[in-house]
Amino acid sequence: MRAALRVFAAEGLKQHRRIFGSKLVVFSMLLWPVLTLATTYYTVLPVTSAPGAAQRWPLVAEPGRLLAFLAAGALAYTFFFSLVQSAWHFSWERVSGTLEAMFLTPASRMALVLANGSSALVQNAWLFGCFGLAAAVATGTLHLAHPGMLGIAALALLVPAVAWGAFLNSLLMFSRDSAFLYTLLDDPLWFIAGVRLPLFALPVWIKAIGLAFPLTTSLVVLRGALLDGKDTADLAGQLAFLAGLSAVLLGLTALLLRVGERHAQRTGSLQLF
Amino acid sequence: MIVTHELRKTFPGQRKLFRPAGPATHAVDGLSLSIPPGAVTGLLGLNGAGKTTTIKVLATLLRPTSGSVTVDGLDVVGHARAIRRRINLIAGGERMVYARLTGRENLWYFGQLYDVPRAVLAKRIDELLELVGLTDAAGTVVERYSRGMRQRLSIARGLINAPAYLLLDEPTLGLDAPIARDLRAVVANLARDGVGVLLTSHYLAEVEQLCGHVYVVDRGRLVAEGSPTALTAGTRLPHTVELTLAEHAPAVSAAVAALGAEFEVGVDAEERPTFVLRSPEDLTGELATAVVRAGGAIVRLEVNPPTLEDAILAMAGAPAAVAAR
Repeated sequence: MRAALRVFAAEGLKQHRRIFGSKLVVFSMLLWPVLTLATTYYTVLPVTSAPGAAQRWPLVAEPGRLLAFLAAGALAYTFFFSLVQSAWHFSWERVSGTLEAMFLTPASRMALVLANGSSALVQNAWLFGCFGLAAAVATGTLHLAHPGMLGIAALALLVPAVAWGAFLNSLLMFSRDSAFLYTLLDDPLWFIAGVRLPLFALPVWIKAIGLAFPLTTSLVVLRGALLDGKDTADLAGQLAFLAGLSAVLLGLTALLLRVGERHAQRTGSLQLF
Repeated sequence: MIVTHELRKTFPGQRKLFRPAGPATHAVDGLSLSIPPGAVTGLLGLNGAGKTTTIKVLATLLRPTSGSVTVDGLDVVGHARAIRRRINLIAGGERMVYARLTGRENLWYFGQLYDVPRAVLAKRIDELLELVGLTDAAGTVVERYSRGMRQRLSIARGLINAPAYLLLDEPTLGLDAPIARDLRAVVANLARDGVGVLLTSHYLAEVEQLCGHVYVVDRGRLVAEGSPTALTAGTRLPHTVELTLAEHAPAVSAAVAALGAEFEVGVDAEERPTFVLRSPEDLTGELATAVVRAGGAIVRLEVNPPTLEDAILAMAGAPAAVAAR
């Protein structure tokens, strides 16, 4: 455990220096929440003004709550997409030759990918998280059953996100080409996870696919806990599903890391760049 | 001790969509060698001989296809994690460090991954920075380092876990001569302190200077082993003696011919007679004596014994003819 914590500390420093340490990045992180929210809101606006929209989606009649609904979606998406970016950066370790140096060490591979994802999450999403919470409090849209639900919401976002990030990192043991992550997980993730539109508005087959992505259920919990005043009993099903999905993702990660490292040791692919 | 027995490493052919896989590559083919602690062992061969593949198998980055590799009795496949604590690899080409971290941060990062005790790590980082001459640049980001400085940092990274065995793959590649000389001194000191070192290098003078025992591989197979001196002698390559006389002396040619060695006669730029004598043995003394007795006045005498480089090239060209064991 102590050794794993030291890996987390090391990855934290590395990610800060390599990716998030520049003034330009911090400045862009100040603008990012505002731009993301504005883009989301004005994308959805035509849908809300369509005839009969309020009957199917009552939230459109309350602009403040609609904005909070979208802000929660954008916040959760930011958390999960920062993990996609983290995996993309991880693939660059192979190009720069540092992946071999990491795999020369006795450090736990699982700790490495979890630390990689967690560091990216902390660096990338803290500002958006603060912004979202402050906005919700300021606009009076924060509606908690009790203060503990804030922690439940945070856990429902963080734990699956880190498991998701570790899983994506483990996929890159088999391929140095990470462009597929953006192709499959940028815009499609917006859509199928219900970031901009409520899940009931999506076709059944898309909802079924969406369940495989932890962002979908994380978002249901986040909105329920922070905006709709639901407590753990109300969200027990979703929380159990998220815990199971996270466990499955972590199990798959462990398996893929093991198989992937063996594959690299057999083919020499770790040194390809 | 690191011991490989009948080590083979075959890379499968690359698979392509709708096309059959390419041919497999046999990078290492039945290699048996020993790397004792407290000594520098050389691994030589031309490009593609299988040196880097062998080193990566020893470093646990590659898995043997067959044969065995043990480090202090631990098998590299079954005990990879324990072995990683005891070894490290330094490769030439200044990769394996992070450009946006400072030199000190790079060493701290890898120290954390090796779980070097906190109390030891800070002191060791200072010592290593001093050892590679980067103390003044410790707080500078690596992207501002020169190529040589990056390589020196890579060397410090390779020592961060105080390895019992150090695998050096072209460690002086791209280094300035003084830095390369300092590195050789570091390697010699490490061996004196009990570290087992395996060295590959294209600078064969470096190998001759450092290694007590050398393995020569060609196309993944061991073709010779021994001390650099024994390897050079074993190839039976000729010593070359070049001799220039002040003026022509008719009896000298006959005297040189009497030595029974192959020789050429010519003239230099100043029209002075020259003799180039080639012989498996060093005939310098006999040649000089014979020439002087024949009335020749020697103005220049240059002796070129065969080098390890000549020996390696000869072995790579005709491995079956070489038996330096």
